[in-house]
Amino acid sequence: MAVRMTKPQMINQQVGWCGGCGHGIIQRLIAESCEELGLVEKTVQVLDIACAYWSIDTLNCDGIAGPHGRPAAVATGIKKVRPDANVYVCAGDGCSYVIGLEETLYAAARNIPITMIVVNNGIFGMTGGQMCPATTLVGDKTVSSPYGRDPHTAGEPFDTLTMIQSLPVAFAARGALYDPQHIDETKKLIKKGMEYQRDNKGFSIIEILSPCPTNWKLSPVEAMEKIKNANQEIFPVKVYVDNGGDK
Amino acid sequence: MAKAKATADTSLCKECRLCVSYCPKNAIEPLEELNAKGYKIIRINEELCIGCGRCYKICPDYVFTIHTLE
Repeated sequence: MAVRMTKPQMINQQVGWCGGCGHGIIQRLIAESCEELGLVEKTVQVLDIACAYWSIDTLNCDGIAGPHGRPAAVATGIKKVRPDANVYVCAGDGCSYVIGLEETLYAAARNIPITMIVVNNGIFGMTGGQMCPATTLVGDKTVSSPYGRDPHTAGEPFDTLTMIQSLPVAFAARGALYDPQHIDETKKLIKKGMEYQRDNKGFSIIEILSPCPTNWKLSPVEAMEKIKNANQEIFPVKVYVDNGGDK
Repeated sequence: MAKAKATADTSLCKECRLCVSYCPKNAIEPLEELNAKGYKIIRINEELCIGCGRCYKICPDYVFTIHTLE
C-alpha cells in the first residue's frame, strides 16, 4: 500500500487554528507548492501578527513576523538582501488591505519579486471579529457592526485586486476554498506566484476567499456555503493580471 | 474495487465536519466519541470509501492520508 496523498513534510507540528478555519488548508497549499518546486530550503515566510502567525511554529522553514500590517515591507527588505530566497508573505485581509494597504500597494508598484498570499476571510479574526472595512460584506454582522454593516456609515467593501491591476505586477489572482476543485485551482495560483518569483518576473499576489466560522458565527459547512453564495459575488474568483513574460 | 482508500488520524480532528459534507460517497460518519483534545471525531466506512481524496483536500487539520491499493 503506497501513500498517494499525505500531510507535507514541511508541516511538522499540529496546527493551532479553530476547527474549520481556512488557514490550515492554505498552509497545506503553501507547503505542497514549496515542496513540489524544491524551494523548501530557500523559503523565508513573512507573517503578520494575527491568525497567520501560527505558521511560524508549524512550517519547517525560516520565518519572521514584522510589525502588524507591514509584512510586504519586511519581505521587500529580505528579498533585497537575499535575492535567491523564496520570500512569501502570508497575511490576512486586515493586514494587507487595511492596516498595511500602503505597504502592499508600494510593494506592488515597485514590482518587488515576492509572492503575497492574502487570506480574505472578511473579518478581523484574531482581534475578536471586528468589521474589516475592505472585505466585510454589506449587512454582515460583526462585533463592531452588530446590526449589520451599513454602507452609509461604514462604506462599502472594495476589490483591492482591481487597484493592483493598474500597477506593473507580474501576477494577481483570486482563489477560493469552498470546494476541493477550487482548492486545487488555488494551489495552482500559489505555485505560479512562486514560480514567477523564482524566475524573477515580479510581484505576485494571490488572494484567497477563506472561511472564519468562529467569528462569522456559522458552522464550518455553512461558512463554506457563504463564500460560494455571497462573498464570491463581490470578490470574483479569477486571474486579474498574468504578465509572466515582462521582466 | 476501489484503487485507493483513506485513513484518518482522528487525534488531529477538530470536529469541523467538512469531510462529512464533502465526501461524495457518504463514507465518513460523524461520531459522538471524543479525542484527547475533546473534539468529536469521525470514522471512515472502508466499504464505501473510493479514495478520491476530497476529504484530504478539504481537511484543515491534515487528518487524512490516501493510500493506493496495489
